[in-house]
Amino acid sequence: MKVRIALLLVSLMVSVTSLASEPEYYLGVQGVACPYCAFGVEKQLNKVQGVKSVIVDIGESRVRVTMDESAVLNEQQARQAVEDAGFSLESFSQTEEHRSTDNAQ
Amino acid sequence: MHSKLIACLKPLLVSGLIGFVGIPAAQAAPNTFNTALPVAKDEFIWREQLVVRERSGSGATNRNVSVRAVGNVLGYGITPKLAVFGAVPYFIDKELDVTTPMGRVERDTDGFGDISLFGRYTLYQNDFTGGTFRVSPVFGFTAPTGDDNDRDGFGELPRSLQTGDGAWDGFGGVVTTYQTLQYQMDAQVLYRENGRHDGFARGDEARFDASLQYRIWPRSLKGVSGTPGFVYALLESNLIHRERDEIGSGTDANSGGTQWLLAPGLQYVTRSWIVEGTVQLPVVEDPNSDAIQDDYIVRVGFRRNF
Repeated sequence: MKVRIALLLVSLMVSVTSLASEPEYYLGVQGVACPYCAFGVEKQLNKVQGVKSVIVDIGESRVRVTMDESAVLNEQQARQAVEDAGFSLESFSQTEEHRSTDNAQ
Repeated sequence: MHSKLIACLKPLLVSGLIGFVGIPAAQAAPNTFNTALPVAKDEFIWREQLVVRERSGSGATNRNVSVRAVGNVLGYGITPKLAVFGAVPYFIDKELDVTTPMGRVERDTDGFGDISLFGRYTLYQNDFTGGTFRVSPVFGFTAPTGDDNDRDGFGELPRSLQTGDGAWDGFGGVVTTYQTLQYQMDAQVLYRENGRHDGFARGDEARFDASLQYRIWPRSLKGVSGTPGFVYALLESNLIHRERDEIGSGTDANSGGTQWLLAPGLQYVTRSWIVEGTVQLPVVEDPNSDAIQDDYIVRVGFRRNF
């Protein structure tokens, strides 16, 4: 039992550390309506310095951008990348977990 | 003898090359025309398409024209709104079978055809959640890179059978796209003015193309994360009017006309690949006199983003 609790605590710590070190952003993107369009958005966002991964949730018209540790994505960078892909940025936000982590720091 | 044979061959096709090379064909995009191909800034799009086209003519000469060709298209996004494209066909085989006073004669040729270069600028764009509407003018030209004086044992091939027409051609029009997560509609109006070379000019062409792509898989995007591949059912329409060819100081009575083609097909679309196929079938054919008509056109190919 103690071992299980210890493992759980360790995994929670790892998760929290991971969340804290890799900021995530949500972009609402207008105009993306097919997988082929999603590629253009991924390609342009991946050019931004510090971007670790980009996932387009096409059904939600939402893009999840994960940054390298301590890297920051600002709204202007996101808007430029989305417009270079041929689409429009509707909303920009940092995930709640990171916002609260940032605030705590 | 050669002059008799050439006289028999005069009333040959016009549309073969034009329909194929012209602006043959952005978002998921149609299969039967290239002008709507989607390209982001600094992105390339490469399309390869195998085209099998069978044509036949009425009358005593019982003409048949078979074309096996590969359409090669490369596009590049200079800015998010301006994209340029190059398209050139390679004719694996372009063959004519015709009845002459000397019996049935077969003549054929192969090689690269005329290259088309064109640009598209997105003049109006209205993006909304899960969709977009765009209007883009398109302008371009076709350069005479194909062979226009190929010969066989009977002499020089008829102009309409050559892989190129030797002339510079210009074209322009407007393409529109309306796309949602469920379906996409593209339409273009295009006019092509064909140049004259060595006493021959293909007839000018006006066309109205439309395409509907409807997502049939996944049937619903609820609860789907990421970007899965889509399967679209296609239905495309091509209404084409061609003037008569000009030969010398006159026109070829047995060339040009109006036709309406419908093309059902399928597309599998992933983030960076598309595999697609359609069969274009004539619904209405109104050729001038004994001008040759399409029996069917099969288009199978792929697209790649990089």
